[in-house]
Amino acid sequence: MISLAGRDILHSWGKYVFTGAGLGLLIGVTLSMAGIYRGMVEDARMLLTNSGADLWVVQRDTLGPYAEPSTLHDDAWRSISGLPGVASVGNATYLTMQAQRGNEDVRVMVVGFESGRPGEPSSLIAGRPIMRSHYEAVVDEKTGFSLGDKVGIRRHNYTVVGITRRMVSSSGDPMVFIPLKDAQEAQFLKDNDAIINDRARTAANPGLNRPGVPGLLDAVIASQSSNHNVNTVLVQVAPGWDENLVADSIRRWKRLQAYTRAQMEEILVAKLIATSARQIAMFLVILSIVSGAIVSFIIYTMTLGKIREIAVLKLIGTPDRTIAGMILQEALGLGLAGFIVGKTVATIWAPYFPKYVLLETGDTVRGFFAVMLICTLASIVAIRAALHVDPATAIGG
Amino acid sequence: MKLPRKSPLIASAILLVVAVAAIVLLNGPLAGVKVTTARAEQSDLQPKVFGIGTVEARRSYLIGPTVASRVVSVLVDHGDDVKMGQRLAELDPVDLDERMASAANAVERATNAVDVAVAQLSEARSRNELAKASAQRFLELRQKNFVSQDAEAAKQHEANAAKAALAAAEGALAVAQRDHDRLGADRAGVTKQRAQYRLISPINGLVSARDAEPGSTVIAGQSVLRLIDPASLWIRARIDQGRTHGLALAQSADIVLRSRPNEPLPGKIVRIEVNSDSVAEERVVDFAFDRLPEGLSIGETAEVVIRLPSVPNAISVPAAAIRYGRQQTGVWRNVDGKAVFVPIRIGTHTLEGRVQIVAGLARDDEVIVHSSTELSGGEKLRLVESIGR
Amino acid sequence: MTRPAIHIEGLTKRYGSGDTAVDALKGVDMTISAGEVVGLVGPSGSGKTTLLKCLGAVIEPSSGCMDLDGQRIFDDSAGGWQINDLRALRRDQIGFVFQAPYLIPFLDVTDNVALSLMLAGKANNVARQRAYELLKALDVSHRAGATVSSLSGGEQQRVAIARALANQPPVILADEPTAPLDSERALTVIRILNEMAQTYRAAIIVVTHDEKIIPTFRRIYHIRDGKTYEVAGEGRSL
Repeated sequence: MISLAGRDILHSWGKYVFTGAGLGLLIGVTLSMAGIYRGMVEDARMLLTNSGADLWVVQRDTLGPYAEPSTLHDDAWRSISGLPGVASVGNATYLTMQAQRGNEDVRVMVVGFESGRPGEPSSLIAGRPIMRSHYEAVVDEKTGFSLGDKVGIRRHNYTVVGITRRMVSSSGDPMVFIPLKDAQEAQFLKDNDAIINDRARTAANPGLNRPGVPGLLDAVIASQSSNHNVNTVLVQVAPGWDENLVADSIRRWKRLQAYTRAQMEEILVAKLIATSARQIAMFLVILSIVSGAIVSFIIYTMTLGKIREIAVLKLIGTPDRTIAGMILQEALGLGLAGFIVGKTVATIWAPYFPKYVLLETGDTVRGFFAVMLICTLASIVAIRAALHVDPATAIGG
Repeated sequence: MKLPRKSPLIASAILLVVAVAAIVLLNGPLAGVKVTTARAEQSDLQPKVFGIGTVEARRSYLIGPTVASRVVSVLVDHGDDVKMGQRLAELDPVDLDERMASAANAVERATNAVDVAVAQLSEARSRNELAKASAQRFLELRQKNFVSQDAEAAKQHEANAAKAALAAAEGALAVAQRDHDRLGADRAGVTKQRAQYRLISPINGLVSARDAEPGSTVIAGQSVLRLIDPASLWIRARIDQGRTHGLALAQSADIVLRSRPNEPLPGKIVRIEVNSDSVAEERVVDFAFDRLPEGLSIGETAEVVIRLPSVPNAISVPAAAIRYGRQQTGVWRNVDGKAVFVPIRIGTHTLEGRVQIVAGLARDDEVIVHSSTELSGGEKLRLVESIGR
Repeated sequence: MTRPAIHIEGLTKRYGSGDTAVDALKGVDMTISAGEVVGLVGPSGSGKTTLLKCLGAVIEPSSGCMDLDGQRIFDDSAGGWQINDLRALRRDQIGFVFQAPYLIPFLDVTDNVALSLMLAGKANNVARQRAYELLKALDVSHRAGATVSSLSGGEQQRVAIARALANQPPVILADEPTAPLDSERALTVIRILNEMAQTYRAAIIVVTHDEKIIPTFRRIYHIRDGKTYEVAGEGRSL
């Protein structure tokens, strides 16, 4: 017995391929949507992995440093580093802001770190780590900078000496790593006009600008112009120690909160990106339903176009199961072609999205079975229609 | 539609399968991690230390009054050169001029009083002589009984009185002298006070700020003018404490002013301050220019790069290859196409990005420099020239 | 006498029920022998299409009995259809030729003919070989590998006839096979049917009202108001 589905496909292969391609684009969009969600979660995880920390110490009663602003003194690390189980500590600051590239702005997350301590970007895809204590930067490739470019952050220009990959914030902004002191200044000091304005305000305050106390105004302005705060202290736990125990002992210092990796993941995934995730999930559901409906429509229409042939086939003795099989095979074939096209285009266009799109193998497999299932269910409608065709209609024209 | 010929159909189907397979193999989880490698080199390393500083005057002077007063005139302005002893500003002496005149007068009067006392002393002396001689003569006469007891006694009394008057006159002279001295000292004091209201330049230098204008009131210690010794301009730089080992006086350095970013100026370390900044964890190091450039402005930011003694025949690798792991520092090496972590000990480093390997690697050993993802051990590696998109 | 290929007695067919019932067939008797080509003539609405559908086992008669090649396939007094697998019946015992060729457009000429054989369980190459022979007999084997759309109307009709003959059914039902054809082609088709009837010993009923071919039948069944009347035909030679 020949394959009726195969013959039909080969006969109108152009229409089939065209339909498959169209369906493939729809499937590609659906897969990309799932990839966007996975990418978001993965960005959050990468953020935590890239920091190289086991614990994040932040201001008490905050969910910082990524989900909420958190401020610590930059000497808080001293009391933490003495605790048992703490292998190394590092101050870090995070500030999402616009950086200058020539005449344009780039939205980045400026990370302040200390060389050789947790928080330093560990692997580079080009260039070298920061060697000078000021005015050098390591940037992520997504910023668009090349080695040797100058990044403008606040009032200074930083020379790009190294490039990383996949170092982004949880909202997908690429990171720019600069020395901690420069970052503290950037986080705090504003542009020149604002500084002059602030100085004038302080000078106009009679409490701070007393004629009887020369030098007071200068001292006040100096203290206002310096920043000794950081957003978090990153902690690496010594091998063999349970990070929960170390975190507990840090929390006992009543002014500080400490989160383990698992807790940070929950904060980021469950709280920070939860709304976006739900948004995408909802869209994904709608997209899947729409895809299913479109596939059903396509298969139904294809079947309706063969009503006469089906009547004739039934008349000359083709069993129902053969006819049903033909429709089912064509539907599955369409689904397969569409899936291959969809996975291919999704893979091709994924790197061009502004945020990371992660096409997981598991999602691909699940997507494949989902497409096959949808095609099967969609073909049921068409099969029902086909089975209802009365072979008698072939007689009597 | 007409069925196309079988062979191009099969050919395009095969092409499609090949393309899909290629995509899976090159991009999917089966592809190896892209890495670039470099060989450890042996060469002389020139480590350098970097710091940020500001242009400051080593010697700067705050010129102001020692008592609260009002500024009458300021004789120099920002940017003027001044000589030692030059009058810079005048403050309101209030009544001091009058007091000085009064004191001068008092001294004059005291001088006159001294003259009077001297004259009176002279007179007393002469009277004393006379009385003494007279008493002596009368004594001789009494011995010869030419005069009465009373007369001799009277003359004796005159002689005593004249002696006493002499002593009194001497005393009065001393008093007049003391008075004179005292008033002289008073006058000197008032003159010194008056001098306080005249601000004099202590050095040959440059006015760097004019802080008060005529008419304004300044309190003790407040600055009216600020002077600097322009030859004493230097760079006060902060160096990260972690990098200050090996710094010594007279080491040469390149100074790059913010206003002249492409013109490194030669200088050297002239002082490494004893007190560090414990909060910022920085050491303060001072640099002098070999040749003081023109047009320096105080407060200008400068970058300093100190040339440390070179390390000969050091084995070094690119800094990007070093990984600071939790327990130890090391590099990744390519062993049979897989990533293996090798612990090393590092020494010094250069600002251009080479790090000295003290132990763990030999010359020409290959290390992994860049990788497209973070390595954790055992990954399959794919050597490339550079890690592209 | 050899058993007749078709034998029908008292066949009726009622559509609907109650007041709206329509009696399309009111008692049809018919007997046709193997090798005969018989005409079934009647105006539209006379029930000839219904009769054909009953013969083709696509609708169930209301009463009466039908024998096909000596086998009782329908007997309302015995409960209706006597055959379980009507589809197999149609596949193996009955061949259909329609007004239009109704070839399957996505099968090539050979496969169109071979399909019935494959459905009957023959191996693909055997089926195709047999199909080729049939095409040759119908003088259309030179188009064996062509697509349906590239054939002329006459060639398609011949392929359709070959398809009907594929399983060597004892009965062939032809529904207005010459309606769209001109007289020369119409006579060609009737000639071919006669040849095939002789060669393959099939009984052929040709439903028609085409004046061009009616004279060629030796026997004609007229059908009017659901009843048949047998008459002798002219039997003009072709």
